[in-house]
Amino acid sequence: MSDARFSSALDGIFTKLREIYTSRGYTRYRVGRFEEYDLYAKNRSFITGSSILTFTDTDGRLMALKPDVTLSVIKNTAPSRGLRKVYYCESVYRAADPSSGFSEIQQAGLECIGSLTLFDVCEVIELAAGSLSALSERYMLDLSHLGLLDGFLEDNGVPAHIRPELLRLAEEKNSHEALALAEKNGVPLYVMDAFNTMIHLRAPLEDAVRRLSSLPLGEMAAEALSELARVAVALRGVEGIYLDLSLRCDGRYYNGIVMRGYIPDVPSPVLSGGRYDGLTKRLHRDAGAMGFAVYLNLLERLVPEPDGTDADILILHDGSDPEGLLRAVRALTADGKRVRTDTAAPEGFRFERLLRYEGGELRE
Amino acid sequence: MKEVNSVSDILNVALPKGRLGDKVYALFERAGYGCPELLEPGRKLIFESAENGVRYFFVKPSDVAIYVERGAADVGVAGKDILLEYTPQVYELLDFGIGKCKMCVCGRPDFRDAPARTLRVATKFTKIARDYYAGLGRQIDMIHLNGSIELAPILGLSDVIVDIVETGATLRENGLAVLSQVCDISARLIANRVSSKFKYEAVTQLTRRLSQVTEVK
Repeated sequence: MSDARFSSALDGIFTKLREIYTSRGYTRYRVGRFEEYDLYAKNRSFITGSSILTFTDTDGRLMALKPDVTLSVIKNTAPSRGLRKVYYCESVYRAADPSSGFSEIQQAGLECIGSLTLFDVCEVIELAAGSLSALSERYMLDLSHLGLLDGFLEDNGVPAHIRPELLRLAEEKNSHEALALAEKNGVPLYVMDAFNTMIHLRAPLEDAVRRLSSLPLGEMAAEALSELARVAVALRGVEGIYLDLSLRCDGRYYNGIVMRGYIPDVPSPVLSGGRYDGLTKRLHRDAGAMGFAVYLNLLERLVPEPDGTDADILILHDGSDPEGLLRAVRALTADGKRVRTDTAAPEGFRFERLLRYEGGELRE
Repeated sequence: MKEVNSVSDILNVALPKGRLGDKVYALFERAGYGCPELLEPGRKLIFESAENGVRYFFVKPSDVAIYVERGAADVGVAGKDILLEYTPQVYELLDFGIGKCKMCVCGRPDFRDAPARTLRVATKFTKIARDYYAGLGRQIDMIHLNGSIELAPILGLSDVIVDIVETGATLRENGLAVLSQVCDISARLIANRVSSKFKYEAVTQLTRRLSQVTEVK
């Protein structure tokens, strides 16, 4: 697919996203391409599994090509009255894994920073659903609450040393290994039955909340469920929102509700985000925050291959009459034709009509 | 942006080529996902049973996880060794309890580890070996090999190897022994995380039916 075609499709998508975000008073945030490396070094694991491109600036500072937008937004957000609500569409630069090399990734998204109320949380979720619906009618937005599984394990006295491994297995929906680990550590079977129900449960949000309320949750998990229940009621009528507790995020940065968005034919999440008060605290901001990113580069394969031609007319010439050839090309382009000239037919180039420029005129 | 229509209810299943694939297919068949076309002689690469809602293809065992992670297959069957080594972002839904073997540290029977020296470890499974020794706090010199791993300690290339042991016959014939066990290995049902959402009913039903015909539940 041509870069131009993809970038025009991306422009179209971003225009739709911008309309959605500005309709709720979010303002555009523009970031430079570089940031001091120190910012990422201190929060390395927030940029999951990514390598960072660095260079030394003229004044000796170690700089990085931005691998992420969220960190910059928080860093550059001064404490103020009310909330900071911004959206962006930027390139970030990272290598997803050591074998893949660095690439430029187009990312759009938004951040809501400040003293968030439950309304703000619901609004961000609704905007995430709106972003997905701009990409596909058949989107799915999965929500989870980090306090639910964590709280459930703690409330039910599951030994602290096996909790991280159980949570990792929950992410894989791997109940067979979770059960074996729990058995070895004397976790009661009824606890693991409930755990398995939770990690395999996937249902529309309100329905899922109802089903979870019959489990032996404990105080902390019940509190998390109550927040989800309020969100479910507020978002009643918004299509495509599901609960999936296997969805996990790094607890050092994220807390509360987290989310991932999916559309058909893209084998990984196209949207990712959640509540990240942990990150704002690490950056010494006394504020809550929630946001999400839409990975526009993943949409490349959904843009249909062009079936047309690269030019209307291909003119072959011998280069001996530049003045006459230019006149002929100008006449054709003035007539609205796309014209390519060359001394031989370029490989793979598609055109409607082939002309030759010989003896001062064009011939079939 | 085109509205895709390829999310059909048919499940694309990646099976490992070879003996394990045959055994696993027998389980799929018993679970009601037979594909008679698959048993016919020929050179076809993809086999479909529209009636049972499955489409099978056989790939190199180490590639199954890639097909599933990238969404070319909705589900697949991969060895736990491959899942531990490459850590694909997939769901692991079932332990088939077949293709059982162990990932072990092996070496000469009289080998004694001297903690003062860096341990030389030859293996095809570098991540598994690195994680195992990191857990023990042991510094190692990793030697990545692609095959004939047992040769390494015999020829003095390494002190030990980390490799899959099924019966231990090859080790014994070459004067080697299991020194410690790293983990158990068996065949697992894996699923693409996005397909599992858009084909939720089909994947859930497949997992349930397979668990009913599988020894380990």
